[in-house]
Amino acid sequence: MKTYHDIASDGGSKILEQVTEQQQRLKARLASVRQIVAVASGKGGVGKSSVTATLASALQRSSYDVGVLDADLNGPSMARMMGVRQFTPQVREVSMTPARAHNDVAVMSMDLFLPADSTPLLWRAPSQQNAYTWRSMVEMSALREMLSDTHWGDLDILLIDLPPGADRIHNLADLLPDLTGVIVVTTPAAVAQMVVSRSITLATDVAQVPVIGLIENMSSFACPACHHTEQLFPAAPDTKALAEQHELDYLGSIPFDSRLAQSLDHGRSFLSEWPDSPAGRAIKSISDLLIMRLNL
Amino acid sequence: MALFETHGPFDGTMSIVYQCPQCDYQMAMLTNRAETQMVRSLGVKIGGRQVAAEPMETLRNNLAMPREGISEPAQVASQSKCPFTGVVSQAFDSAGNPEFTWTPQAKKRIDAIPPFVQPMVQQNVEEFARQNGYDVIDESVMDEVKGILGM
Repeated sequence: MKTYHDIASDGGSKILEQVTEQQQRLKARLASVRQIVAVASGKGGVGKSSVTATLASALQRSSYDVGVLDADLNGPSMARMMGVRQFTPQVREVSMTPARAHNDVAVMSMDLFLPADSTPLLWRAPSQQNAYTWRSMVEMSALREMLSDTHWGDLDILLIDLPPGADRIHNLADLLPDLTGVIVVTTPAAVAQMVVSRSITLATDVAQVPVIGLIENMSSFACPACHHTEQLFPAAPDTKALAEQHELDYLGSIPFDSRLAQSLDHGRSFLSEWPDSPAGRAIKSISDLLIMRLNL
Repeated sequence: MALFETHGPFDGTMSIVYQCPQCDYQMAMLTNRAETQMVRSLGVKIGGRQVAAEPMETLRNNLAMPREGISEPAQVASQSKCPFTGVVSQAFDSAGNPEFTWTPQAKKRIDAIPPFVQPMVQQNVEEFARQNGYDVIDESVMDEVKGILGM
């Protein structure tokens, strides 16, 4: 009688070989991408997607070739923010075409595969019962495919907008060993900084992913008329201290500006519309710092 | 042993019956629903892959409610030499294209019975439809089955 360990193969499925082929395909696709940077937080609602969209726009305006992958499969927003919600990806030989945003940023998002704003992401299965056992696995496969099967072309930088959750950086690092690093976004709120601090520790100590720097979003409110600024969180902890605590670069702070939300809601480039606003200047300054840090 | 017949997939599981050509002894192998679904979630092909995966194959194959214009990847017949994995792969691939169309009223009657017997009843109704050459299962087919099987 044979035991489990005597079984020499998996019945011809060659699962390991198939997984290795997937990894090689991913590596081959991303060989033409110079830097891969994730934008993460751990905390929801701090403005990761807004920062990703505006940073992509700023980098493109500095004449770099930029791509954006929306890794938030269940709450995708990047297609709308970049003004490409109507685009439907098509098969082109061995890849799928990304959307091209108004400033020529390549965009791939689950939103481009779903019919309506109200359509949730639901996976086909014989039964949705106990779907928690396999859902995260199929979503990781979908994310891998969005990376490996999108026709990114030659890019200077690919920004990956991660969903909330401290574990997301770790999961992405497993999928992408060549990840350049992570930009961490926080707000001045103490609760946000607590969760962000935990995410940074997980990224640096466990996943061993380089953290490029920390961005403080919604740091203050700037009057659109006179540009006078007020703190949004007056008694908030110092974000620079959080950066120092983790020995990170502080990349800058972006003041709250309702026009930024309006621009992104309508898929317009905030930087094209309000380049000289306090928020516009802050984003440009962070983008310039990033170009320097990454040797773009 | 030679492949004799298959049942399913029903509710994510199937059975494959093999028979000895000499003495007609039969044995069946069963797939585990959760394990099969998990392996398929990895984006790998049970039974092996003879041609390269199409772009975003797993994503496009598995989206329950895709946008119009998102094409489904072509199904490639399994060429696995294994008498088990090849059959499983083929059966699950074609399960995406159901053999029968269930009318909403007929489906409602299935949904009304206890969940643990639904797969068995559905299997019996479809077997009846197959034997009688029906493509569409509506309430009249259900009534016929009820008359014969007492369901």
